[in-house]
Amino acid sequence: MSGLRSVGGTTEDDRLARVVLSAGIEPGDITTSRLVRDLGPRAALAQQLVPKPDSGLAERLAGVDPARELERAEQRGIRFVVPGDAEWPSGLDDLDEVDQLDHRCRTPGESRASEPVTFGGTPPGIWVRGPMPLTELATSVAVVGSRAASVYGVETARAIARHLALSRVPVVSGGALGIDVVAHDAALRAGGATVAVLACGVDRVYPEKNRALLAHLAAEYAVVSEQPPGSGPTQLRFLARNRLIAALTRGTVLVEAALRSGALNTVGWAEQMSRAVMGVPGPVTSYTSAGVHQCLRRGGATLVTHGSEVLELVGGSGEHLVEVPRGPERPRDRLSAVERRVLEQVPSAATLAVDAIASQSLLHVRDTMGALSRLEAKGFVDRVDGGWRLAGAG
Amino acid sequence: MAFATARSLALKGADGHVIDVQVDVSPGVVGTTLVGRVDKSLSEARDRVRMAINNDCGRWPATKRVTVLLSPADLPKGGTHYDLAIAVAVLAADTSCKDLTADLLDGWAFVGELSVSGGLRPVPGVLPMVIAAAAHGLTRVFVPEPQAAEAALVPGMTVFGVRSLAQVSAVLRGAEVPEASPVVAPSASPLATWRGEDRLAGVDLGDVDGLEDVRYAVEVAAAGGHPLMLVGPRGSGKTSIAERIPTILPDLTTEQSLEVTALHSVAGTLPDGSGLLRRPPWYAPHHSASGASVLGGGTGRVRPGQVSLAHHGVLFLDEFPHFRADVVEAMRQPMECGEVTIARGEESATYPARSLVVLAANSCPCGGFHGLSGGACECSPVQRQHYLRKLSGPIVDRVDIWMEVRPQARMPDVPYAPPRESSADVRARVAEARERQARRYRDCDWLLNAAVPGPVIDARWPLTPEAQGLVDRELADGRLTRRGLTRVQRLAWTVADCAGVPRPGRAEAAVALALRSSDPSRSLPADVVAVAAS
Repeated sequence: MSGLRSVGGTTEDDRLARVVLSAGIEPGDITTSRLVRDLGPRAALAQQLVPKPDSGLAERLAGVDPARELERAEQRGIRFVVPGDAEWPSGLDDLDEVDQLDHRCRTPGESRASEPVTFGGTPPGIWVRGPMPLTELATSVAVVGSRAASVYGVETARAIARHLALSRVPVVSGGALGIDVVAHDAALRAGGATVAVLACGVDRVYPEKNRALLAHLAAEYAVVSEQPPGSGPTQLRFLARNRLIAALTRGTVLVEAALRSGALNTVGWAEQMSRAVMGVPGPVTSYTSAGVHQCLRRGGATLVTHGSEVLELVGGSGEHLVEVPRGPERPRDRLSAVERRVLEQVPSAATLAVDAIASQSLLHVRDTMGALSRLEAKGFVDRVDGGWRLAGAG
Repeated sequence: MAFATARSLALKGADGHVIDVQVDVSPGVVGTTLVGRVDKSLSEARDRVRMAINNDCGRWPATKRVTVLLSPADLPKGGTHYDLAIAVAVLAADTSCKDLTADLLDGWAFVGELSVSGGLRPVPGVLPMVIAAAAHGLTRVFVPEPQAAEAALVPGMTVFGVRSLAQVSAVLRGAEVPEASPVVAPSASPLATWRGEDRLAGVDLGDVDGLEDVRYAVEVAAAGGHPLMLVGPRGSGKTSIAERIPTILPDLTTEQSLEVTALHSVAGTLPDGSGLLRRPPWYAPHHSASGASVLGGGTGRVRPGQVSLAHHGVLFLDEFPHFRADVVEAMRQPMECGEVTIARGEESATYPARSLVVLAANSCPCGGFHGLSGGACECSPVQRQHYLRKLSGPIVDRVDIWMEVRPQARMPDVPYAPPRESSADVRARVAEARERQARRYRDCDWLLNAAVPGPVIDARWPLTPEAQGLVDRELADGRLTRRGLTRVQRLAWTVADCAGVPRPGRAEAAVALALRSSDPSRSLPADVVAVAAS
């Protein structure tokens, strides 16, 4: 601590203070991050180093040796990125502008039952492993969803992530099983960039099953966490991590989520920060999509069915416009109302005289005659022996 | 003694019966009569046997009355394999021929067709005949030389593969066995499958890209013997994956192997010297195939059809909606009872036919229909509806697993992904799941979950109450029929056996419901599918 003071007001000094904070606080400690926002990292650290009753924070912070932390990280190929660095993703600053998250995406019964979430704020810095500069995340899209996904969810997530990757849009997701891993995998197989945001240190692996994938991401793209190397995941850290996924990206696509899915939490953050929130609908009978449907019903999310629709929503105005899908146009669509009425009465097998057609279509003979002439010119009807029948009928 | 008895065998379906061929040679009106419900091919034996004896070893009793009686007389008899027994019995009954006496024929069975020169030609059905001979206490058998290996598969049987009538006579008398020229190959040509079997020798499930849920469905089908339907646009991989199903089936057990080999022996499709068939067979009749070729029958001898040749293997009906309605209708019995009965006049034959039935169909007549846009489909809605109607009915109702095969984007390989599972990996799991079933059903008549009768499941192997509750709710909501209920229960057991779960719970029942349902909105849990694939 005394060493830090003697360094003076350099950026390096700020960085070391941020390392101490990052290593000492729990992720999403909103009190500390607000102090950093208002006072700067060194003053915030100084204030938090004052011991308080009921809190071991000061002691924890005092025990951190920032230089050693940085050195250890560097040995493992991990860098610490802080605000002011060229690589700092400016999206993370938005976390200082929003309040802590309420349970917007939960059903009323559940929000009463669960504890209020007490975290938020911009992290003091983020730990990054991998060659990809985080500035490339400026156009990225998060693809998140349930760990207990269905084959439908997996295939849809795969198709969307693939489309994003082929359009050179980086994909961001967590490191969990289910939709997370599928999103990374599909982007990688399409040759695109993808980044995992973890709820543990970037040198740790959770879950074990994704070891090979996470190692590949760390070697080729990037793995990101606000927690220092070596720290493990806890349930609350997953919730804190979700806000980073939302903040790092331009929009979040929710593919499959049950009513209590953690992915809904990510979507809540994205919504608060005015990022695009998109939901892929599932069968109404599927509980794995019930959370998505809840989100769509509430109105915060836009329904998407395809990667192109995601691009349209996150792109700049006029970019990636999607043609509205519609059924094939038929020749009869272009006829006037009178022509259609007349055409309905023209038989295909026999022929019918003008006055009969007129009386059946409840039109004046003159109008009927005019309509028939136009229909003949357009090739819909033929004049045969003074009567009319459908063209091509014999 | 003017009469002698030699034993041969008759086949009814794949079951063999011992036939006493009794010959009386005595003075009287000169002539030869053959009695005992013999058909045309057998009555011609008179001339073949006379020629063979005259040309190979002695003299036909031309001045005597020869009566050949085949008993039991009520069993219809046909085929050419009685020649040898008749010839030997004639020689033994003829008192002018002193070398061969009637008592030398005791304990022997004789099988083979004679040529004019006395050569012994191969006949179909040697294996089941020899099995029957052994079952009736006969311990020594003469068969045509090329079929000695086939006959030798039967334990406890002493097999003599011989080339001529003279050799048989010499062996019986204990004399030196004369030389004879080798006999020609069997005249029956195999019922060919419509794709060469060799083409499939090198295929592996590891060749198939993606389709994780279909792979899982195929694994469950193979493990529990569940009929499977694959529906999807053309080119989506239905046939490729179906062709690989035999590669994930474990080797046949000795008992299964004997059954399958016997059936192939009856059909005459057993290659020379191939011994026991140890790999599960694969049959894929074309959709234009006749009832006789698929189910069995034909003119003359009642031959087993492809449903029986595929016994303990895979029967694949590609383009199922194009199959002839009568063939489809007749598939009901094998799918329900695991056997097929071909009735013709007073003759009827029953062959086992418990194969894994795999059906495949395009999603519309042109095969282009898929997804939101309808793909490249050019069919009218009416055409499509008409086509889909064919995808319902009694056979499809007996399908346990309905799987939609969707076209997949190509999945380039990535360094971090584990290598795709090979057939051997899956086969090991299928074998394990089958062992669990074999242990559970050790005192029962069936081996696999798909064959367990519904009431027995309810009584002896019920699902957990939560699982049963889930299934009952489907029944109450009208999404499941009674028959469907039983099928879901069987499937839930197989899902549990595949996962190593001792008793199917809610999760296994949910997977079973998703597998059984043709509703595309019922998607399988991805982790179940991935567990099978990692």
